[in-house]
Amino acid sequence: MFLKKHTVLPGFHLALGFTILYLSLVVLIPLSTVFLKAATLSWEEFGNAVLAPRVLASYRLTFGASLLAALLNAFFGLLVAWVLVRYSFFGKRIIDAIIDLPFALPTAVAGISLTAIYAGNGWVGQYLEPLGIKVAFTPLGIVVALTFIGLPFVVRTVQPILQDLEMEVEEAAASLGATRWQTFTFVILPNLWPALLTGFALAFARGLGEYGSVVFIAGNMPMVSEIVPLLIITKLEQYDYKGAAAIAVVMLIASFILLLVINILQWWSSRRYS
Amino acid sequence: MSIEIKNINKTFNKFDALKNVSLTVPDGQLVALLGPSGCGKTTLLRIVAGLEVADSGSILFHGEDATSQHVRDRRVGFVFQHYALFRHLTVFENVAFGLRVRPRKQRPSPTEIKKRVDDLLKLIQLQDLADRYPRQLSGGQRQRVALARALAVEPKVLLLDEPFGALDTKVRKELRRWLRRLHETMHITSVFVTHDQEEAMEVADLVVVMNEGRIEQVGTPDEIYENPVNPFVYQFIGHVNLFHGRLNTGQVRIGELDITLDPHTEVQMAPVVAYVRPHELEISRTSEDVAIAVTVSSIHLLGPMVHLELLPKDSSEVLEAELTKEHYRQLNLQKGDKVFVKPRKMRLFMGGK
Repeated sequence: MFLKKHTVLPGFHLALGFTILYLSLVVLIPLSTVFLKAATLSWEEFGNAVLAPRVLASYRLTFGASLLAALLNAFFGLLVAWVLVRYSFFGKRIIDAIIDLPFALPTAVAGISLTAIYAGNGWVGQYLEPLGIKVAFTPLGIVVALTFIGLPFVVRTVQPILQDLEMEVEEAAASLGATRWQTFTFVILPNLWPALLTGFALAFARGLGEYGSVVFIAGNMPMVSEIVPLLIITKLEQYDYKGAAAIAVVMLIASFILLLVINILQWWSSRRYS
Repeated sequence: MSIEIKNINKTFNKFDALKNVSLTVPDGQLVALLGPSGCGKTTLLRIVAGLEVADSGSILFHGEDATSQHVRDRRVGFVFQHYALFRHLTVFENVAFGLRVRPRKQRPSPTEIKKRVDDLLKLIQLQDLADRYPRQLSGGQRQRVALARALAVEPKVLLLDEPFGALDTKVRKELRRWLRRLHETMHITSVFVTHDQEEAMEVADLVVVMNEGRIEQVGTPDEIYENPVNPFVYQFIGHVNLFHGRLNTGQVRIGELDITLDPHTEVQMAPVVAYVRPHELEISRTSEDVAIAVTVSSIHLLGPMVHLELLPKDSSEVLEAELTKEHYRQLNLQKGDKVFVKPRKMRLFMGGK
């Protein structure tokens, strides 16, 4: 049995019971139907559905683009959080509010706007095209869209940790002879790792499932710029429910394993540092 | 390594934190910056360290101008009130930090680092806890690690900002005695900030009393205690009783008392304030020529000493007196007793408020 501790706010059993019920209704039951649907396929049919070259290409694209976008966000999100925490300047509050926009904006709007800007005749695209850089309707465009979508995650997870870091620790490092770069890498960064990993994981997971903003900018060419969620929709439109479920199962398991690994990493690093 | 502080001014948002402060810290001495909170003592320490930049004035280390030097290049050991340890590093790595971040050419070899850190850990008596993280240590242990970390880089001067401020009384006493001993073995020029006069008196060779951005007095603990230059210093160093009176041609009149001073003084009818320390009040059962009649209003027994609160007949201002337990027993004092007090020693300052 659980060790019962006396607390001012009891109710462990009730709270846990509610949590499990809630998770079941909202997450577990819907997800299990995906598995049930996929289970109606034979192993061979399942293999054919999830290992077709076009599907494999879409896995590579989705995971690759999400990973790249999450890495970009980890770097620039850290920079944005740093600027917002460390400096005070005119318009800081507004910039702080803008960070959350990708959360609020309908993703289709984001996708269309990005496409308009990065298309060959768009505001930014017209200058990139002569340089041989095509953004819209290429995998690069997908990375751009996913970076946009995932921006708030890293900023919002790192910001509070950065805020809590004592200035004195940096001063101590400087008085011991550390350069600015050494202070950042040996003193600040280790404290930010857990939050940075969390933000990275969230941005990455968001990228894996993102559909709305990507379909507009991707061009959706099979084997080149077709993401997994789009492939699932395509299958559904062709009434291939079982095939769609099979791909969904692969995505689910792969995402779960990746997130689990990141969570373990995060747990391990936060246990060391705090 | 001596430290010279010349005409330092510092203003924070129109608040003058330091007003034209000059001070010389002699080589190898342990100096206390003492003052109430907000007097600028920490700011001065941080300016010496290079963590804060003065608006004007200069800092010299051993005669060399260090005013524009970065904290990194000043080679000062700085100890913070809240330790500021690197919480993601072990005790060993915390102490080794300053050696590891050196440019490759000046960096000691790993075996040298190990030896140096082990020696320091032995010095702070924490060699068994080398692999612990700061969060697994007590406050006193953390502060010792912070001190070892500062000493690891062989600083020219050691600066401590309220180093024992966050610790409980017992640990604080232990640590300051330990710091004193450490200073006696290492003789590194050290400056520490404190608001605790007892701490300053007990540990320092030289005490610098500060108030409102200025230095009020510099002297050995004994000088400061015996000869405070002004009422602020007198009141800040220990408890004090105040008597308001008037000075007239060598005579001071305080309430009903007339005290004859040097008859050559030619001051006419000037207001004065007499300061008397609690232990300088003599208590007797019988009235003498120069004595104030008081009622004992409360008695506190604190170990070997007894603190009395005494209420004079003609005023509501409570007097504090201190006497030994033996004397107290001889007098056989009870609460409510009427006794007489006489200042054994007093110090007058002109222009009482």
